[in-house]
Amino acid sequence: MTALSEHVLEEIRELPAKYPQHRSAVMPALDLAQEELGYLTPEAMSEVATALQLDPGYVEGVATFYTLFHLAPIGKYRFYMCTNLSCTLRGANEMVDHLKGAIGVHEAEQVSKDGLFSYEEVECLGACEYAPVARLDRRYQVDLTPTKIDALVAERRNPKVEAPHPAAKAADLPAKRGGTRKKKSG
Amino acid sequence: MVEQRGTVGGPVLTEWFKTPDLHKLDVYESLGGYSAARKVFKEMTATQVIDEVKGSGLRGRGGADFPTATKWSFVPKDHPGPKYIVVNADESEPGSAKDRYLMENSPHMLVEGAMIASFAIGGHQAWIYIRGEYDLPYEMLRDAIAEAHGKGYLGEHPFGTDYAMDVRLYRGHGAYICGEETALLESLEGKRAQPRSRPPFPAVKGAWGMPTAVNNVETLSTVPWIMRHGGAEYSKRGTEKAKGTRMVTVSGDVQKPGNYEIEIGVTYRHVIEELAGGPFPGRTIKVFWPGGSSAKVLPGSMLDTSTDLDGLKALGTMGGSGGIIVMDDSHCVVKAAARLLRFYAFESCGKCTPCRVGGNWAVRTYERILSGEGSQIELGILERVSDGLQNGRCLCGLGDAAGWVIESTMRHFHNEYEEHSLHNVCSVEAALVHA
Repeated sequence: MTALSEHVLEEIRELPAKYPQHRSAVMPALDLAQEELGYLTPEAMSEVATALQLDPGYVEGVATFYTLFHLAPIGKYRFYMCTNLSCTLRGANEMVDHLKGAIGVHEAEQVSKDGLFSYEEVECLGACEYAPVARLDRRYQVDLTPTKIDALVAERRNPKVEAPHPAAKAADLPAKRGGTRKKKSG
Repeated sequence: MVEQRGTVGGPVLTEWFKTPDLHKLDVYESLGGYSAARKVFKEMTATQVIDEVKGSGLRGRGGADFPTATKWSFVPKDHPGPKYIVVNADESEPGSAKDRYLMENSPHMLVEGAMIASFAIGGHQAWIYIRGEYDLPYEMLRDAIAEAHGKGYLGEHPFGTDYAMDVRLYRGHGAYICGEETALLESLEGKRAQPRSRPPFPAVKGAWGMPTAVNNVETLSTVPWIMRHGGAEYSKRGTEKAKGTRMVTVSGDVQKPGNYEIEIGVTYRHVIEELAGGPFPGRTIKVFWPGGSSAKVLPGSMLDTSTDLDGLKALGTMGGSGGIIVMDDSHCVVKAAARLLRFYAFESCGKCTPCRVGGNWAVRTYERILSGEGSQIELGILERVSDGLQNGRCLCGLGDAAGWVIESTMRHFHNEYEEHSLHNVCSVEAALVHA
């Protein structure tokens, strides 16, 4: 039984062909591993190494160098809070303090009790005109305020209060779901 | 992204930014996009392209300010194997967001620029190394490249020619040092991003050991305009030696932060007060970083300084990557410098001892000063560490930049350092409390 599923390993084994040298596949491969598991376990890194015919220590060396690779669980939603100078001048530290309260953690890297949230302070995200800024779910959240942070947390904690798709009204949802199910069974 | 904050409809780079859906190939093309690449691939030689760009006077916009055409001409013409253009889209200099602005608004402009640059060095593959946090720009570039393939502009026969061309993407994973070109190349090769010693320079031995020119996003995004209008037309803008327009990001204590396209040579007063709306009511500008956090600071009294790149060098600072960070009189310079040193210490790749050790010495010294444990000794340590970080003692500029933050803030704001170190007083915050 491997940590990574066979289809992910298969995808990883196909990566080297995309690059002039096979070593370049290590970061995209670690990406795929992290996408499946949420973070990189020693077993996963070792399996990536085997799949790419690299030394496990080498792969771990790469994984530990870059901040976007996580070596411990991070929860379902990770807030990457920029606290570099431009964001700090616009209240980034206050936003971090507020976020801690909102998700119920004492410090960076700690995962909230419900397993949903964690945060880290990151260096400049390159969106200084929107300071203070955070990266969340592969998108930037800009012009942060305590109210905005509360809303981002609430939407994720209780997806029902989210207003996801402008086309779908809340009342339509059950009927739509039923419709889909019928199609599938039929 | 959300709303454009910055120039739309500027003279060169942002010329078409008012047009909705500019990121789509048909829209980009309807305005004249890809006409430059078409002309280059069908009608020109590599030497002609290099000469045209040389005539424009274009210099690298990533911070090094090196003439673009000269960089291309360093790539050996007779090399038998592959040659690469590598696009530095790792923008992570604190205060700089302009490359993101360009990619989000006009990804095809970068793809077209990368194609032309590849043609100029005789390469057939361009690699865009984009920082991992830039999810949206990555997706937009990915889609733009796919569209260009669909149209046949990329592939075996671009514009019906036999000059095969491909543009590929590689995502970074969080490391400031990857903005340094040799560290970027290491990262692209799947290694820990630690700068290489030079020589050999990338033009001789770059990506995967092959001749390579590494160019910044903005630099390459300028190239299609130059090929459409001619180098001479571009060189009419700017100053005697620093030609053209450039992007700056203005952030911090200003009313309208944004990415602005400026003609090189306008004053910082114009950029900060006219374009970026100036300070908030009742506040005055105390200090600004003229070109990213790595540029030595200038006090607010020097707002009339020109954005002329050579003039800034003469002042001992630089235009850098164009990130202008503005700080008003409600913020403490010592705390700002301490924050930036934490950044440089964290981002040090650890290869060179002065940077690895010096950065952390500075962080600990700032911590003592800000927690009220400072003295004359701490001020002396900061001066010595600052010197130890600078003057080419490391393989790349990260250590120097850390030293410059300490040195330039101490030179212009020694009073604030003395207050904190010797008297444990922050007059900036005291004034706010009593206001």
